[in-house]
Amino acid sequence: MATMLKVDNINVYYGAIHAVKDVSFHVDEGEVVTLIGANGAGKSTILKTVSGMLRTKTGSIEFVGENISHTEAHKLVYKGLAHVPEGRRIFQQMTVLENLEMGAYIHKNPTKEELEDIFERFPRLKERRSQIAGTLSGGEQQMLAMGRALISHPKLLMLDEPSMGLAPILVEQIFDIIKELHKAGTTILLVEQNAEMALKVADRAYVLETGSVAMSGTGAELATSDAIKKAYLGG
Amino acid sequence: MTFLSHLINGISLGSVYAIIALGYTMVYGIAKMLNFAHGDVIMVGAYICFFAVATYGLPPIVGVLLAMVVCTALGMLIERLAYKPLRQAPSLAVLITAIGVSYFLQNGAQLLWSANNKMFPNFLNFGGKTGLSLFDGQLTISWTAIVTVVACVVIMIALTLFTGKTRIGKAMRACSEDKGAAELMGINVNTTISVTFAIGSALAAIAGVLLCSAYPILVPTTGSMPGIKAFTAAVFGGIGSIPGALLGGVLLGVIEIFAKAYISTQLSDAIVFAVLIIVLLVKPTGLLGKQIREKV
Ligand SMILES: Nc1ncnc2c1ncn2[C@@H]1O[C@H](COP(=O)(O)OP(=O)(O)OP(=O)(O)O)[C@@H](O)[C@H]1O
Ligand SMILES: [Mg+2]
Repeated sequence: MATMLKVDNINVYYGAIHAVKDVSFHVDEGEVVTLIGANGAGKSTILKTVSGMLRTKTGSIEFVGENISHTEAHKLVYKGLAHVPEGRRIFQQMTVLENLEMGAYIHKNPTKEELEDIFERFPRLKERRSQIAGTLSGGEQQMLAMGRALISHPKLLMLDEPSMGLAPILVEQIFDIIKELHKAGTTILLVEQNAEMALKVADRAYVLETGSVAMSGTGAELATSDAIKKAYLGG
Repeated sequence: MTFLSHLINGISLGSVYAIIALGYTMVYGIAKMLNFAHGDVIMVGAYICFFAVATYGLPPIVGVLLAMVVCTALGMLIERLAYKPLRQAPSLAVLITAIGVSYFLQNGAQLLWSANNKMFPNFLNFGGKTGLSLFDGQLTISWTAIVTVVACVVIMIALTLFTGKTRIGKAMRACSEDKGAAELMGINVNTTISVTFAIGSALAAIAGVLLCSAYPILVPTTGSMPGIKAFTAAVFGGIGSIPGALLGGVLLGVIEIFAKAYISTQLSDAIVFAVLIIVLLVKPTGLLGKQIREKV
């Protein structure tokens, strides 16, 4: 399978804070790969570096065979990279529809089919299309954030803690959607604190500890590993 | 009848403030900075139009368009050279820079065009009349006042449509809310900020010409007081809000003219600012200001 994303030996700093240390990993086409780890392990920092919001001091990031470690964030969107950031960051004062239009910004305007596709996946958004996004519930906001990223037909979808702050039933729903997207062939890089759920949907996983990769393997392997069970699965 | 005439003058002056306030409010909305040089861009616009018409004899409309072109370029240049390098800097540094740019423009104008008064020509007389005579001549509304109010209304409608309906306009709103998220949508934030400065500065040129048509003495500091008043109007109406700029501008103009007419010419500015302070005490976000919600 072709490599979609290849992160090679990156080091990311916030001033003097060394947040990501010598991290390497890769995501193949069609895979769901998850990065798990405790608070402050550096998961979000890695995603922000891939999407061009932060820069690595060393190494390289290759996306579909092209070195993107110096490419501006807004240009990466045109190359097919979509990043749903931590905390959703939907445009609170714009309507649901306008948020989706911003998601399709690189295609000028979303086509009817594109909108219908999103509404089919997230029927709630259709009902709420004219509502101001800031008044949506947390779960609806997460659906909007994912819809906004999917509407640009990304090659790689990066999700930063999509289950954060959601009730268990909504967490299930979000993971069901991730499974469906996986089945449809979407390549996904998933950051999660909910290790149990993440390992279930992921083909492969990397465990981060204080900025470094501590372990990696298939989702099933890690889910049964004793060290992981102890540290993240409460058993 | 004099009351009506004061009211009309107030609305007309307020419309100029509103057009200037729009520049402040749009730039504040997206760049989160107070562009104190905005008032001086108005002055530059007025000079360009003055020279085009009075010195080179070009038709007034060409003078206005020329002023808009020059101010647009000037606004983008100021943003590129003075503010863009400070995108990550503390807001105090940006504020001081803006004040510096303001003095730079004033002194530059003095050097280029001298500090002597220039009498701005009155373009707007039709058939030798400078206004519309009503009630057997008891009330005259100047063409300048009419054109100013109409221009203000047209600009407001155009901008509302622009930010509400067009792709760039929506991108501007997205950037005002969250630049990082906008960037992740593929929006070029730097370009969008640049476009905002361009629009604000083009409006400043129009405001400059309208202002000097009503108050024709043009000097290098012409833009500074109206600039401060328009900034006040923007805050008064709720900074960041387009309808707020309109409401704030018009109210400020009317209060100023009424204070001048019925209370005291000397005290009028003090009264204007006293009203502002009272409004801000009661409603800190301004009349139509949005309640900024804390992000969770
Ligand atoms: N803007 C910042 N300035 C300074 N330090 C930061 C900044 N953002 C993150 N850090 C630090 O970098 C480290 C990694 O942070 P990061 O947000 O990547 O963690 P995370 O794995 O996403 O954690 P969480 O699960 O809590 O979201 C942390 O120690 C954090 O304190
Ligand atoms: Mg995080």
